[in-house]
Amino acid sequence: MVVMAERRLECSWKRHVVEQLKQRDRVQRHAFEEIIHQYNRLLEKSDLQTVLSERYQSDKYDLQNRHDSSPGLDLSRNDSLQQEMAQMRIRHQEELTELHKKRGELAQSVIELNHQIQQKDKEIQSNEAKMEEYQRQIAELEGECRELRGKLQDLEQANQTLKDEYDALQITFGALEEKLRRTTDDNQELVSRWMAEKSQEANKLNAENEKDCKRRQAKLQKELAEAAKEPLPLDPDDDIEVLAEDSGKGTGETSPNRPLSRTPSKRVSGQSPQSSLLGSISNIFGRRPGNSYGSSPECTETPSGVCADVRVPATALHVFEAHDGEVNAVRFSPGSRLLATGGMDRRVKLWEVVSGRCEPKGALTGSNAGITSIEFDSAGSYLLAASNDFASRIWTVDDFRLRHTLTGHSGKVLAARFLLDNARIVSGSYDRTLKLWDLRSKVCMKTVFAGSSCNDIVCTEQCVMSGHFDKRVRFWDIRAESIVRELELMGRVTSLDLNHDRTELLTCSRDDLVKIIDLRSNAVRQTFSAQGFKCGADWTRVTFSPDGSYVAGGSADGALYIWNVLTGKLERTLDKNHSSAINSVSWSPSGAYVVSVEKGCKAVLWSDM
Amino acid sequence: MIADDKDVLRDVWFGRIPTCFTLYQDEVTEREAEPFYLLLPRVSYLTLVTDKVKKHFLKVMKAEDVEEIWFEYEGTPLKWHYPIGLLFDLHASNTSLPWSITVHFKNFPERDLLHCPCNSVIEAHFMSSIKEADALKHKSQVINDMQKKDHKQLWMGLQNDKFDQFWAINRKLMEYPTEEGGFRYIPFRIYLTMSDRPFIQKLFRPISPDGHTHTLGDLLKEVYPVAIANEAKRYQVVIHGIEPLLETPLQWLSEHLSHPDNFLHISVIPAPSD
Repeated sequence: MVVMAERRLECSWKRHVVEQLKQRDRVQRHAFEEIIHQYNRLLEKSDLQTVLSERYQSDKYDLQNRHDSSPGLDLSRNDSLQQEMAQMRIRHQEELTELHKKRGELAQSVIELNHQIQQKDKEIQSNEAKMEEYQRQIAELEGECRELRGKLQDLEQANQTLKDEYDALQITFGALEEKLRRTTDDNQELVSRWMAEKSQEANKLNAENEKDCKRRQAKLQKELAEAAKEPLPLDPDDDIEVLAEDSGKGTGETSPNRPLSRTPSKRVSGQSPQSSLLGSISNIFGRRPGNSYGSSPECTETPSGVCADVRVPATALHVFEAHDGEVNAVRFSPGSRLLATGGMDRRVKLWEVVSGRCEPKGALTGSNAGITSIEFDSAGSYLLAASNDFASRIWTVDDFRLRHTLTGHSGKVLAARFLLDNARIVSGSYDRTLKLWDLRSKVCMKTVFAGSSCNDIVCTEQCVMSGHFDKRVRFWDIRAESIVRELELMGRVTSLDLNHDRTELLTCSRDDLVKIIDLRSNAVRQTFSAQGFKCGADWTRVTFSPDGSYVAGGSADGALYIWNVLTGKLERTLDKNHSSAINSVSWSPSGAYVVSVEKGCKAVLWSDM
Repeated sequence: MIADDKDVLRDVWFGRIPTCFTLYQDEVTEREAEPFYLLLPRVSYLTLVTDKVKKHFLKVMKAEDVEEIWFEYEGTPLKWHYPIGLLFDLHASNTSLPWSITVHFKNFPERDLLHCPCNSVIEAHFMSSIKEADALKHKSQVINDMQKKDHKQLWMGLQNDKFDQFWAINRKLMEYPTEEGGFRYIPFRIYLTMSDRPFIQKLFRPISPDGHTHTLGDLLKEVYPVAIANEAKRYQVVIHGIEPLLETPLQWLSEHLSHPDNFLHISVIPAPSD
């Protein structure tokens, strides 16, 4: 209610104000608005009239002034007429001047327009010329474009052809690859099969050998048994006796050849002075401690002369190129049928001596550096070669297969020898050690420090003798591993050799002297020298003849010298066939041949025929 | 209601007074000068709107006879710095229309009138009134927050008679925080015809401390009780040519019936005897 009252109150004074304002406007504004507006317009008009009339007044005064000079009756009338005419004339003149002016202006504009048109024409011409030029260029470019497109097409075609060819070649290549793969696989298969077969063969061979061996053994056993059974036809120095005495003295026994001939053993040179039967038994059963050999010093000096029909060579039967480089070592097999040479070309070559010639039989590979020394085992079935690649290797002679590689030296292996039981090997090396190897376990059993590089080694039953760079020959006890003795020479020891009964040691040294040392008395028994004999290298090898009656050695000038042991004098000089220093000499166990090998790849087979 | 308020604002702004300007007879003229009639805007200032008058009279005068123009009504020099509506209400309220003003070009009354050499003087006076009003209303916060261009817009709106342009800015000056209920103080001046003082201006709140709104009557009672002393209604309280009821709220009056300079110019004149 209060709100309503207030609003009504509000309305009342507000309405009053609104109404009052409206009334005010009505009275004060609306009543006068129109009038004032019209009044102002009239004022403007009157002002304008005033201005115009003033102007006309001034004109009139001018005209009047001019016509004052001409008097006349109808002055007033003429005046007015004249005034009119004057005015008209003035107006016409003004029009005329205006028209003249306009014409002048138009002429001017015409000239200007003409000028502009000329300019435009020139522009048009130059534009047209340009257009022609452009069109020509366009035509040229089009021509070029077409040419290029043609070339492009050609190139694309050529490219496509090449691509096709390439694809075809790829396919062919793929097919060939496949073929190759298949062939390789076949090859592999064949090789493996062949290897398998070979090993089978080898096994068969081994088995056969064994069988053979066993057969022989059995036969021998049988024969022995039979022989044992038969008391009569045999000599008093009998196997029974011998069998009873294990020490096998056999003093003064010259063993008959017979039992030896019964043995199928390949050993030709007599192993023991006494009963060769015993020797052969020992040989068959192997590894008997060499008691029999211990007594060897007691037997006579005379060599048993077993089969060794030693002949001093006189001529060269066959000169041939043995290797592609220096030939360092040469050795006859125990059966005298095979010859092995080893050279700087890393190969050991096997030759067969047949009818006075050396026919190549095969090559033993596997060494990585030059061969320094070669030895056959006592059976002649294994070959041991020492090499500059710090290792010694063993091959089977029959199938040329590498059996063992003995590594362990830290220097060149200069000599390697089978011990008499053929189960162990001793090797001497540039690294101043000697190593003893066991063949069954193929490990180095012992290493002895010799103190000097070892150039050559020979072995007896108990003793290993090594010749060294420091001019000494060292005698080692195998079991005790210690130096038993040392012998000093005048020059670096280059070669050692034992005679067939191991009583004498042959040494060659760089002072160009070849000496024979008696092993029992450890004294130099004989010294051989010759005028032209010069020891050519640290590995120059000299050798006994199989019966120990001669000594052969090669000289640096390529001559082969042969001395007679009994007389101590130079027996023969063979200097015609070698062209460079002789490195090594080997006398066949049969005594018939001597082979010498030289630095210059050649080998010479000598005989006395 | 709001439509009414808007109407009130418009009517106040577009109020006009029909005036007849006559050249003073002693002015030296080349020929006779006709009087010039014009509808003067109530809210503007004399020197701002009388260019045409000057031009009209200069047509009949020689240049050497022209000095600064000034106006008088029945012998009273008219102060140009009062709004035109105020001058009319104060001097010629109950006379017959149009209002006759005499135009002088010589003998400027130095003691009664301020010089007005150019419009920027009027602008300065106008802006200073606005600032004074806002100082009373909002402690000058609103006017000081405005940019210079807003001030300029106020002046241009008045000068070019643009209602919308003017009120776009002026409405900000008419706002107040709602919790206050109104302005801090109402800017007003009471003009008297018979007095030595030019006007009465005092601090007066629109809302009383106990919350009820003050009216015009409260203001007069407080500030000039003579005006409403009921002796056969001897005085008229005129604003913008109307007499608002005494119960009209002062706050509303200040918002809607102020002049563009944000002041309520109140004339107290003797009531006509008839």
